[in-house]
Amino acid sequence: MSTAQPHVPDVSIEDRLYTVKYRDAGESHLGVKNPDVCVDCTTNECMQVCPAAVWTVEEDSDGVPSIAYENCLECGTCRFGCPYDNVEWEYPKTGGGVVFKQG
Amino acid sequence: MSANGTESGALQLPKLQSETPNYNDTYDAIIVGAGLAGTAAALTMAREGLDVLMLERGPAPGTKNVFGGVLYTPTIRELVDIDSAPMERYIAEKRFSMLTSNGDETAVSMRPGAWRDEPHNDSYTVLRRRFDEWFAKQAVEAGATLITETTVTGLIRDGHKIVGVETDRPDGEIRAPVVVLAEGANSLVSEGADLKDRPEREEVAVSVKEVFKLDRETIDDRFHLDGDAGAAYHYFGDGAVGEAVGGGFVYTNKRSVSVGVAYRIEDAAHGQTPEATLNAFESHPAVAPLIRGGRRIEYSAHVIPEGGAKAMPDLVHDGAVVVGDAAGLVLNNGVHLEGTNMAVESGYHAGKAIVAALADDRSDEAALAAYPRDLEDSFVVQNLRHYDWFQRTIADDRQFLFEDLPRALADAETEYFKMDRSSKDEHTDAARDRLLDAAGGWFGAAKRAWRFRRMLS
Ligand SMILES: Cc1cc2nc3c(=O)[nH]c(=O)nc-3n(C[C@H](O)[C@H](O)[C@H](O)COP(=O)(O)OP(=O)(O)OC[C@H]3O[C@@H](n4cnc5c(N)ncnc54)[C@H](O)[C@@H]3O)c2cc1C
Ligand code: SF4
Ligand code: SF4
Repeated sequence: MSTAQPHVPDVSIEDRLYTVKYRDAGESHLGVKNPDVCVDCTTNECMQVCPAAVWTVEEDSDGVPSIAYENCLECGTCRFGCPYDNVEWEYPKTGGGVVFKQG
Repeated sequence: MSANGTESGALQLPKLQSETPNYNDTYDAIIVGAGLAGTAAALTMAREGLDVLMLERGPAPGTKNVFGGVLYTPTIRELVDIDSAPMERYIAEKRFSMLTSNGDETAVSMRPGAWRDEPHNDSYTVLRRRFDEWFAKQAVEAGATLITETTVTGLIRDGHKIVGVETDRPDGEIRAPVVVLAEGANSLVSEGADLKDRPEREEVAVSVKEVFKLDRETIDDRFHLDGDAGAAYHYFGDGAVGEAVGGGFVYTNKRSVSVGVAYRIEDAAHGQTPEATLNAFESHPAVAPLIRGGRRIEYSAHVIPEGGAKAMPDLVHDGAVVVGDAAGLVLNNGVHLEGTNMAVESGYHAGKAIVAALADDRSDEAALAAYPRDLEDSFVVQNLRHYDWFQRTIADDRQFLFEDLPRALADAETEYFKMDRSSKDEHTDAARDRLLDAAGGWFGAAKRAWRFRRMLS
């Protein structure tokens, strides 16, 4: 039973996203279908499941998430993650969005 | 040696201009997505003399694609000469490892001598950015047309029959007798056209992955490898993915190491976020030394369908077929994570069925029925059916499999090998008690063994 964890440098989501190449499509390919559903939603599961910190629900907001679409990895997780099927999800226009160099 | 990693140059591609040329009825088939399944279908049809058009939303094939990953090549080998493919390493070692959140590791490793010989059990690490572009290039050389930066936004119907696609290009409608939906796990076109339902959240996994740059020699030393040999490490237990159902992985590329976790979106939605899960996995004492000093060169994520055979949609429609991840063809059960071979196999069978149907001047559902029939007879559907029970069983037994058992194993090892002044007999008894406790006594152990017997059969 070990206790000492080996040292791993702290890494933030910004550090991680910095390694990703994007071509900005200029407009969001993500949205919510019905904002009222988000207002009533208390679990914000879109935010929980997203690996790229795209979805945030500010403390003082009405509960509708703000969407940093430029960070999106196009993984699709939020499409399934929202329990009310309230995520509007399209592909970015004409080849825009994430460009993986490794994959 | 097959893994020589030629740099694939930029493709010379016809581009759709803003004044879209009229492609209508120029092509026998339109393929949505130049991933593994789409390219396999395109290759199969182009080789038989059909005019096929591949539409890919990314700036080049592979730019949107993420996997673990080990590419399984038994069918690709039949379609192309893989000696010139940009492989990273062949798999010389598979390792399965149980991690607890206390830092324990219990591992089983296998290095069959046969894997060192060609064709290396048809298992190679690759990076999708390079491999997919190379693979699509083989289809273009066989006569297929590839157009990139073009997203298919919908299907065109004539009555019941699918007769073409809409794209996001100006005047971007293109008609053809057959459409192949090879759009991967986020199958927006198939769902939008009611060819399938959106999978349930319980049947989809989220995966996050990072690639760490390391010297070739460092990788060889850390993983005990030489030449083009590589390693595939799979991890389970609450030290790998916490409370979730899923696992972690570490794969060696030539000069980098791919590290990631994959588990049910259900678990992420209940608060176990992908980033935190990846952080915990990367800092586990069994994993951290493998990536120490490596520079992060890419963070990525993707969903994985894991609904198995029961979640498979209808594979044929009048004028269309669904292949690869779009059809949910992935086997993800812990011991196996296979989708690449299934994608290619399905693209191949679909391609053959389309060739035969078009030879009779038909493209209706009945004329394309050879595709689901052949797939049903292939390893793809057989393997999916064989493991259908598994997802259910592990979800029921999660606590035992991923928490109690790994911890009991670690405790039992500690007891068994304990250096103190009591006898080995006492150590053995103590170790056995630990394991039996976890399994619920002899009766519980027998019941569990019976339930999981099919895992290895
Ligand atoms: C993290 C992770 C690890 C994995 N590890 C392994 C592994 O180790 N071994 C293994 O065998 N399998 C693994 N898999 C599964 C495997 O990657 C997939 O099964 C396989 O890639 C499926 O191939 P595909 O061609 O069906 O789909 P994809 O490879 O996803 O290709 C779909 C293509 O279609 C394009 N596209 C999508 N929509 C459109 C549209 N509307 N218009 C135009 N183009 C479009 C995409 O850009 C993409 O190029 C893993 C998957 C993940 C996510
Ligand atoms: S998108 Fe879904 S999960 Fe997110 S806040 Fe709205 S309703 Fe809730
Ligand atoms: S697709 Fe993935 S990265 Fe993009 S917003 Fe949804 S969960 Fe986040």
